[in-house]
Amino acid sequence: MGKALFLAPIVFMTLFFALPLALTVVWSVFERTMFWMEPGFTLFAYENFFFSARLENFLSSMWHSSISVVVAFIFGFPVAVFVRRRIPQVAQHRVILLFILPFMVSEIIRIFALRPVLQRTGLVNNVLLELGVITEPITVILYTPLGVIIGEVLSFLPFIVFAGFLAMEAVPKYIFEICDDLGAPRHRVFIDVILPLAAPGIFAGAVFIFVNGLGVALLPNILGGPGAVNAGLIATQAIAALDFPLAMAVSAIMMTTLLGLLYIGHRLFDLTRILSPIN
Amino acid sequence: MSQDIAVQVTDLSKNYGPVQALRGVDLSIAAGEYFVLLGPSGGGKTTLLRLLGGFIRPSAGRILLHGIDVSEQPPNHRPTSMVFQSFALFPHMNVAQNIGYGLRLRKLPKVEIDERVAAMLDLVGLGDLADRMPHALSGGQQQRVQLGRSLVLETDILLLDEPLAALDAKLRKDMCLELKHLQEQVGITFVHVTHNQEEAMTVADNMAIIADGELVETGTARDLYENPRRRFTADFIGETNIFDGTVTGVNNGEVAVDLGFAALTVDDNGQCPNVGTEVSVSIRSELVQILRSGIAVAADQQTLTANYGEAVYLGLATSHVAALPNGQAVVARHVSTGLALDVIAPGSSVELAWPRSMMRLHLS
Repeated sequence: MGKALFLAPIVFMTLFFALPLALTVVWSVFERTMFWMEPGFTLFAYENFFFSARLENFLSSMWHSSISVVVAFIFGFPVAVFVRRRIPQVAQHRVILLFILPFMVSEIIRIFALRPVLQRTGLVNNVLLELGVITEPITVILYTPLGVIIGEVLSFLPFIVFAGFLAMEAVPKYIFEICDDLGAPRHRVFIDVILPLAAPGIFAGAVFIFVNGLGVALLPNILGGPGAVNAGLIATQAIAALDFPLAMAVSAIMMTTLLGLLYIGHRLFDLTRILSPIN
Repeated sequence: MSQDIAVQVTDLSKNYGPVQALRGVDLSIAAGEYFVLLGPSGGGKTTLLRLLGGFIRPSAGRILLHGIDVSEQPPNHRPTSMVFQSFALFPHMNVAQNIGYGLRLRKLPKVEIDERVAAMLDLVGLGDLADRMPHALSGGQQQRVQLGRSLVLETDILLLDEPLAALDAKLRKDMCLELKHLQEQVGITFVHVTHNQEEAMTVADNMAIIADGELVETGTARDLYENPRRRFTADFIGETNIFDGTVTGVNNGEVAVDLGFAALTVDDNGQCPNVGTEVSVSIRSELVQILRSGIAVAADQQTLTANYGEAVYLGLATSHVAALPNGQAVVARHVSTGLALDVIAPGSSVELAWPRSMMRLHLS
């Protein structure tokens, strides 16, 4: 009975996670048929991906995603540090809950709600025009790659706050007193102490945003222009075109990218430390 | 050693909302002294130390360190450095990096940092552990690293906040002596907070008793143990029998105190209570003898009749407990001799005797 309980998560993860992922790879080399696919071995789907505009789109969505990670980190992590350091212990979790709340709203609604804010006659433009800051509406913030980046940052910012909050668990409070005593200026505390200690948590948060930036098809679909595509959208379009092996290949490539990132991160920071706060 | 004043605190108070953590403390600590702030938990001694270090700001009063008012200065603008309770090291830096970080912040040349860190590692006895990470160190070693991290900065005043509290009893004793010797070697002022009497007495040149946010009394360990002025001190340090009574007469430096069931005559020790004042008289338990009734005692002995209670064997000492007519328990404590005990039947009447001259009078 006791052993069975320990087996349960393993069975669950195998059945609903590892197996489908493995099947993704298997199906990606199947032969395409009119409406589905049939067993076989062909690298046609990969060829289709790597020797077309899709690779370029994939790489540029990786680039945009990286920018989003950095921007979200710059805005979000200081908030996490602030909550950890300045908010009383008892109130900290309530404050963090505020940052989790947005995730309880459907993603499509959250992203779609950005349109009336960013569009030509949207909130941002209206306010800036009204204030006389600009004379012409800014059009570069919606239906452009920049629009996608803004969308990514805004929709994942709460998450980096949450991830940063968890990451700061690894930075004990006394550290700041030692730093005060030694007279460490803020930027040195950040670079010498907070970053190295919180690195695993920061990395985990960064990977989450990066992978979502690649994978969430809604973002380029709703906020990007005609040419804006990320990996998720490539796969979605492939499914719409009934090219299932291509969709599978894109998924497999994304998965490989993620595993590669996790491996690098683990080698650098030992990601198991995220779950073991220093005692 | 100069007779400069390292720490001068006047009328210092700290409030946390309605809670007064420290009330009107005046204190001065000579340069080069090993000074201990001793008191029960929550009494305000750590608050005082943190005020000295600049981690909190006073609600009222002033702090002068080496004659300079630092009351509103941050920690790094004071000639102080702090050793925290325990495990307060940078977990991601090895021993040498932990010690050298303060010097790195001061942008010293790397060669000089390495030299000073190496010298400090030797001083605190960690010469062969320079590359160890903090989690691979014992509690005692971690505290040595903290000492090194503070001493390497060559500040004039070292603040130690319960530095040995997390160590086991045996190690604490060894570290106490080491701290004392280290202080003698480096010659700077140490201000050490502890609730442990033995630790305080081992290291202190001078100490202050702090309780309920107030400075109760200062003096050397010997002063406070043998000649406490305040009732609290007598009660807090050592094991003391305290009798509360009323002054019935003052004569020639002698004060007569009525306990209700007996009268005592005690030296006024320079204090001049008025007749009718409530006072306390104390006698340390190791000075009390228990005699079978009827045995003659010398004239310089104070005696009280009591009912014998029981003996408690404590290893080094054996405590005998007897009850006075008013029900108050009196403890007589003596080094266990290893000889067969002269057993006194519980409930039998005994005489408690102690030298009159060893009684202390407390007006407050």
